Amino acid sequence: MEPMLRSVSGDMSIFWISLGMGLAVAAILALSAVAFTLEYAVSNVVNLAHGEVLTIGAYAAYVSDTNFHQNLYVCAMIATIFGALAGTALNFGLIERFRNQKPLSTLIATLGASLILQNLLLIGFGGASVSYGFAQGSLLHVGPFLWTTLTIRVMLSAVVVAGLMYILLQRTRLGKALRAVSQNRELAQVSGIPARSVVMQTWAVAGAISGFAGFLYGETIGTITPTVGNGFLLLSITAAVGGGLGRPYATLGGAVVLGLVMSIAGTYTSSAYQLVFAFGFLVVMLLIKPNGMFVRGRALTVRA
Amino acid sequence: MLQYWTAILTEATIFGVLALGIDMIWGWAGDFDLSAYAYFALGVYMTIIMTVGKAKAPVEYVLGWRLPYLLAVVIAVVVVVAFASIIGAIALRNLRDVYFSITTFGAVWAIYYLVENFTPLFNGYNGVFGLFDPMGQHLSYNAYHYFFFAFCLLVLFLVYLLVQRLSTSPFGRMVRAVRDDERAASVYGRNVFWAKYRTYLFGAGLAGLSGGLFAAYIGAFNPLDWKPTEIFVLYAAILVGGRGNPRGVVLGSFIVYVGFVEMTRYIPSPAARPELGPALRQILIGLLIILMLKFRPSGLLPERLGTDGTSVQRSWRRWFTRSRRLPDPRPDDVASDPVIGVES
Repeated sequence: MEPMLRSVSGDMSIFWISLGMGLAVAAILALSAVAFTLEYAVSNVVNLAHGEVLTIGAYAAYVSDTNFHQNLYVCAMIATIFGALAGTALNFGLIERFRNQKPLSTLIATLGASLILQNLLLIGFGGASVSYGFAQGSLLHVGPFLWTTLTIRVMLSAVVVAGLMYILLQRTRLGKALRAVSQNRELAQVSGIPARSVVMQTWAVAGAISGFAGFLYGETIGTITPTVGNGFLLLSITAAVGGGLGRPYATLGGAVVLGLVMSIAGTYTSSAYQLVFAFGFLVVMLLIKPNGMFVRGRALTVRA
Repeated sequence: MLQYWTAILTEATIFGVLALGIDMIWGWAGDFDLSAYAYFALGVYMTIIMTVGKAKAPVEYVLGWRLPYLLAVVIAVVVVVAFASIIGAIALRNLRDVYFSITTFGAVWAIYYLVENFTPLFNGYNGVFGLFDPMGQHLSYNAYHYFFFAFCLLVLFLVYLLVQRLSTSPFGRMVRAVRDDERAASVYGRNVFWAKYRTYLFGAGLAGLSGGLFAAYIGAFNPLDWKPTEIFVLYAAILVGGRGNPRGVVLGSFIVYVGFVEMTRYIPSPAARPELGPALRQILIGLLIILMLKFRPSGLLPERLGTDGTSVQRSWRRWFTRSRRLPDPRPDDVASDPVIGVES
């Protein structure tokens, strides 16, 4: 996509165009990273199978697209539902079973789960990449940015989901319970909050967000493979750790910053090195502010 | 058939060396390192490019020397350790546990994409090749492979002796003390970072060494050969054998490698679906990791800890001399100690 954009506009506006693309990437990244951070918040687990939930969402939408409807909204809904199912299943089948073990054991177990899910998808759908039948839409100039109708739709839906998440966290009983459980599960339990059920619902919500993000990602980059979530997992981790692991709003900020850093750095070198930049960003954040850039207070040594 | 078994066992032997290295980092020091496969790959790349000579037209890579094989392996190990010292310094200074794993996870993927896309380094996606055999001129094809298997076995045996020795040495005990309770260890005057860092570099060096062996075994190497996810096979091997116990680790890598290679041979893999066999193999590896972690995290031959925190290995001599019987391992001894077990 980038060469096309370069030919459309002069050199002067490349910066603004890549910034615009960065915002679109950041929007999807924000959703994925928030889901990742919610999972960490309630279960204290770094879920390395998170990428596969995205992939499941993307493939669910693909199946719905090719077999049943060519309807965008139906596909998005199917992706969300399957993401929620995958998140719930992951929590029930794996995370809860490892609840009494060290966080590191759970991390290793999620690695195993990631391996299993990814290869099940490979067996089910084959290694070749597939794509949706939706159009990319026409190019639109918005201020200094150059977007397509698709990227605008992606960004708008990300903002809507973020808004819904804010309402969920701040205005509902589940949000209140979720925040309590993420602070201290045992204390929440003895205060009469059904911790198990809250954790389960949180995983469902996080899975739904991931599935939706997977659909948006597949729509934006145009192709889906069983490993599509793999690279995105590292970006989500980087965004979450950079912003503040376990803090949804800080993670949102981290995702936006990371998306912009990556797209601007990618403009001046090559987009193939995006993950290299992401890792550089992660290392810098871990070295100077391991608690995350949007978390107040002095930098502590990070030990679990 | 004999050649077939030689090939499998050679591979298992090479990965036994790698597993011993990774086990030092994870089993002894408790750092779940996901970037070790990059050190292995770097060892392979360095060994190949230092022995095959100058790169020809479409192929490009750095160095392109024509060194004797063994010298190339030694230099490769040095380069790998130097490289690991950078990653280790970043990842081990302040980060522990999950954060350490995240950092090394990022590191290995960053290295992977860098090597894959930056062709002047190791010829990018196409990889480096140039089949060579260190003793090729003097031996026939089959004899060379038997010789090379014997050579790998010898290396594994020497590495095993060294690691076993180190494991029960004051250093090995100190590293385990640091793993079990960092605060207590530092109260007793141990430099926590330095202990973990040295273990990390040692483990990375063993990874580089096994990479040097693998280079001679495989002869060609490209990014498809070292997907960072392949490291799970090694963690599965360590989990099966017994984390922290060198003997168990060697046993586990033979079980997993021979077992899985043999098992996947009988999985039908139709020509239309070539990905089926490898995919099922990966699924089995994932299941193995989860089930071992859940039901038998200490493996077949568990690490044995004396009550004073020393790591005690069953040795052949103890079978015959009937020395004093050691109490059963109780890994939570330190944690439940009323004086130092305050940290949860």
